[in-house]
Amino acid sequence: MRRFVKENSLTLVFGVLFLIVLVLQAISGHAGYNQQQLTDGLPPVSFGRYVTSASFGVDVAENWQSEYLQFFLYVLLTAWLVQKGSPESKSLGEAGLESDQDQKVGPYADENSPKWARVGGPRRWLLSNSLGLVMGLIFLGSWLAQSIAGVAAYNEQQLSRLQDPIGWSKYLAEPEFWNRTLQNWQSELLAVASMAIFSIYLRQRGSSQSKPVGAAHTATGVEG
Amino acid sequence: MIVLPAALLTLAGCGPAQSRLDAVSGAAVRMLQAVADHDGSLACDLLAPETAAEVGKDDPCPKAILDENLPGPAAVVGTELYGQWAQVRLADDTLFLAHFGDGWKVVAAGCTSRGERPYDCRVKGG
Repeated sequence: MRRFVKENSLTLVFGVLFLIVLVLQAISGHAGYNQQQLTDGLPPVSFGRYVTSASFGVDVAENWQSEYLQFFLYVLLTAWLVQKGSPESKSLGEAGLESDQDQKVGPYADENSPKWARVGGPRRWLLSNSLGLVMGLIFLGSWLAQSIAGVAAYNEQQLSRLQDPIGWSKYLAEPEFWNRTLQNWQSELLAVASMAIFSIYLRQRGSSQSKPVGAAHTATGVEG
Repeated sequence: MIVLPAALLTLAGCGPAQSRLDAVSGAAVRMLQAVADHDGSLACDLLAPETAAEVGKDDPCPKAILDENLPGPAAVVGTELYGQWAQVRLADDTLFLAHFGDGWKVVAAGCTSRGERPYDCRVKGG
């Protein structure tokens, strides 16, 4: 058990932090929602009702979609794009899908390679692109969830202002939908660009995301 | 593609249940029926507190609500329900309701559409 925790500490710690922060978001969101209820002259809603509301749903989903978009793009584009001096980048001459030998597929697979790396056809293609595909699918699913919860939350607001509710397809053209979406996208893209640049000159000793402290600023594709 | 979210909503059980829709439209019709029956007390009981207070600003609510020229209860054309808010469209009136501890209450009635702007309502909260 102890060994399991130690060997999986990165996932476990982030998983637990995620749950704690999600609960804190729900608590603060519930308080904010009930403030609005009071302003509207309505009674407060229970915590259970809030966490199953469209309002909470859209707030959660809009952040999820942007995070998964960030990782989807990052996984996909770092195959082709490089940044001189950044440990986030491959070496300058390695841009692209690389050779089968480099990727240990087909005849170059070793005894520890996943089975689908050894076989050809769609299974190898699927394994070769599985990380990007899963990130991309979770992004699309979260974005769809954002739009569905978003239109319900938007319509609740519309009705509270004595205005007509709108349909899902019309909501997709509303500034509210795109504002929620783009404000998250811009921050994710900024974070990636910052990480790629900062890690050229800055170090975090011992981190897999940093070059070794003594590595040259020009060294590319070197992780600590 | 447009059908998919609606299907997902239904599968997830997120769409309002028919019983909730009936409760909303029932509350709207009961309020208008009370006005038509000249039962101002019942009509005011079915108003949201802030709406009842606004109606009863000059005269007592049970008297004032009968003078608001609200249309009689007509056939329900449509009901929309999102979270704590709902809209009931009748053949000749539109009402807005909100959910309170003791059920759905009318926040605004006698409402006329003004397009993108909020409805113009004969009866509404302050």
